[in-house]
Amino acid sequence: MGASTEEPSFLVSARDRQREMIEAYYADLATAGGAKRPVAYMLVGGNLTEIVRSFGYEVVFPEIVALNCAIKHVSLPNILQAEAQGYGLDVCGYVKNDLGLQQLGGQTPFGRIPPPDLLVCSFSGCYVYVKWWEALAEKFGCPLFLLDVPYLRDERPPTEDLGYIVAQLNEFIAFLEKASDRRFDPASLRRTLAHSRAAEEGWVRYLASGARRPSPIEAYFEAVFHMFPINVLRGTEEAARFYATLNAEVDERVRSGAYPVPEEKVRLVVEGVPPYPNYRTFWDFFRKWGAVSVAATYPKVGGLFDRGFLHDPARPLESIAEYALGAYVNQSWPLRRKLIEEYVREFAADAVLIHGIKSCRSFTAGQGDLRDRLIHDLGIPTLYIESDHEDPRYFAPAQIKNRMDAFFESLDRRRGGAAEPLRGAP
Amino acid sequence: MAVRASSEGAAAAADPEGAPPLEVSDSFEEFARAPSLEAVDRLARAVLADATWPTVRAWNRSGRSAVGCFPVYTPQELIHAMGMLPVALHGGGETIEISHADAALGSFLCSISKSTLEMGLTGRLAPFRAFVFPYICDVSRNLEGIFPRAVPGAATHMLHLPQNFRSAATVPFLVAEYRRLLRVLESAGGSPYRPDRLADSIELFNRQRAEIARWTEIKRRDPSRISLTESYLVRRLGGLLPREVHLELLRRMRAAVEDRVPRPKDSVRVLLVGSFCEQPTLDLLDLLEQVGCYVVDDELLQLYRWHPAVDPTGDPLENLARAYVESPLDIGVRATPTTKGEAILGRVAAAGAQAVLFLTAKFCEPALEDIVLYRAALDREKIPSLHLEFEERSSALDQSRLQLETFVESILFA
Repeated sequence: MGASTEEPSFLVSARDRQREMIEAYYADLATAGGAKRPVAYMLVGGNLTEIVRSFGYEVVFPEIVALNCAIKHVSLPNILQAEAQGYGLDVCGYVKNDLGLQQLGGQTPFGRIPPPDLLVCSFSGCYVYVKWWEALAEKFGCPLFLLDVPYLRDERPPTEDLGYIVAQLNEFIAFLEKASDRRFDPASLRRTLAHSRAAEEGWVRYLASGARRPSPIEAYFEAVFHMFPINVLRGTEEAARFYATLNAEVDERVRSGAYPVPEEKVRLVVEGVPPYPNYRTFWDFFRKWGAVSVAATYPKVGGLFDRGFLHDPARPLESIAEYALGAYVNQSWPLRRKLIEEYVREFAADAVLIHGIKSCRSFTAGQGDLRDRLIHDLGIPTLYIESDHEDPRYFAPAQIKNRMDAFFESLDRRRGGAAEPLRGAP
Repeated sequence: MAVRASSEGAAAAADPEGAPPLEVSDSFEEFARAPSLEAVDRLARAVLADATWPTVRAWNRSGRSAVGCFPVYTPQELIHAMGMLPVALHGGGETIEISHADAALGSFLCSISKSTLEMGLTGRLAPFRAFVFPYICDVSRNLEGIFPRAVPGAATHMLHLPQNFRSAATVPFLVAEYRRLLRVLESAGGSPYRPDRLADSIELFNRQRAEIARWTEIKRRDPSRISLTESYLVRRLGGLLPREVHLELLRRMRAAVEDRVPRPKDSVRVLLVGSFCEQPTLDLLDLLEQVGCYVVDDELLQLYRWHPAVDPTGDPLENLARAYVESPLDIGVRATPTTKGEAILGRVAAAGAQAVLFLTAKFCEPALEDIVLYRAALDREKIPSLHLEFEERSSALDQSRLQLETFVESILFA
């Protein structure tokens, strides 16, 4: 197979627009905090951003800050600081980045992260969330609300589970009224949810385009890049507008035949969190072989909007409960396996690539079993590799590259080297 | 997966060196009538060393079913009330070599998850009809999702143990969650649920909890009267025997312990924290007291100490759920924001401990993250602490011995 050495094809104006949005977000944050513009820390999985925003809070997602630090190659000093505090080698890299960063004063290359006035822990899919927020509560002494989200074990969420979450959401609203000294405004929440829904519809349309052959999007590396508005700015008008811009560019790509790689040779479904400290290097290992991700699970950590769920302003709390319950890592392995198998079929993928994370047990524990299921029960070529999402010390480029080269080469050989590349046609 | 569960049970799990599986009598009388604590110690070691689950096989011989419960907490009363034996799955200990589970689970995970899966993949869990995995961490939770492929034919259930202990909706949710578990158990051969039977089971487990509390009190009051390993092995049998048998054993052996003449020696009174799920090896537990630690309280086998007595009257299902939610317990698998420091200092004081030993399983994130908060509070109060990590098959104890000896000497000779 011929190697692709060209630069990755970003969606240029969307990328520029997103950069402006990120810069504006962090610039706003730098001056936030206190009674006038209080700051709430939240987790991505099952988050309650619409409710919190309707009370006037600025929202910080320490997971997003952590991945931004990793991608900017500044996570290691934060991690080492956390290790100096006593957080061991096996603790989640996001947790260590955050607790180290807090200890170092919160300054990042993209802005200062203000301390929290409020901690909102959506316990949805990751037990480490609970431990992390306990540590922040001890450090900052600010109010903490924990939303307990039952693990999703059935395709149809049990009514008891939804009722439990809705009851807690009502308690959360009362808690916020007290903490913020503001009255709950249901109309404001409905407006925020309408913005969320518009953004979610745009995001879903973007992700669905991976089903085209060739795919006009890179559904892992590019999609992860474009997750920022859906995860961080959900509930704002600008997030909804962003996905309209993005989709217009995807349409233009289809018209002009400008695809993520010049020749699409391998269509992949990707499972797992990316190695953010080596994001570009990892992507290059795909591009070299004309491999394009057509669907991926990780871009769904902020919500499985592409499987029919959308926030609903007419059913505000009920739809927020459904959202929290359905977060990707809050789904049982049988449900996760089924989703990945559906992606392989619906997106006509040739293979699955699984990236396991050393310090993320929620995502990773059981991925070997997934690999076994895909290869031995379903005959789908699957590669499992490991590194870390945050800690650059665990990325072994030569070893990973060798394994990926061998995998793609064996895929090529398995198809008799006869697979014609799919060229974009205007 | 190359290896799948075998229905041959004991044969599949036979000792690779050819030792015959231990046979336990149908009435378990060797436990109920054990003549001495030393005899119980020998029996317990033999049971733990035998990967064929001898007590479970003995229970099954009369046509009854057993349910494997992953740590840390499962409402065992529910299982007992359905005529099934709740069995504490504490991993493979030193008996299981990992050959297949690494590939299914991943590299950077605790030994207990791997050895439990390994037992499933190699047919060693054939004596069980069902498994319960409580949501105590992400690994336990995910393990449930891959168990049906490892042990086809057995029922598995992930029990969502709530973490919001302030909501008015939590107890009703947990009642619904317990009803879901009851349906799984019924489908796995359990008797239909009856509140009166659950009330009886609650009373039995209350007696077991009370008896174990007496053992804990002896160790606190007079730690030279019984070694940590003796106390541990007696308690460990509690998850492997019919509870009626265990209760009788506890009562008889407590009388024997109280008859002993204490022989105190220069030792440091230590609170042992962090081993609430995966269990340290017996050699490591022995080592703690050999080097001069009196372990006056511990988090080992928290199952029996999760909550105080449960009210058996009224709605027993609701009472059981309420006991879980209202428990004052503060350990790594229970959300207790802003009380970590206060909690560890309170436990040190209650146990009359001079120091804290954090003994955590490698890769156990709930334990690892709490240590930082606990140690900050201990350091403020100038209470010494030491952190050691272990794995199920970690046999090299030289470095741990050196660290422990230094720790003990620094306190004794300060």
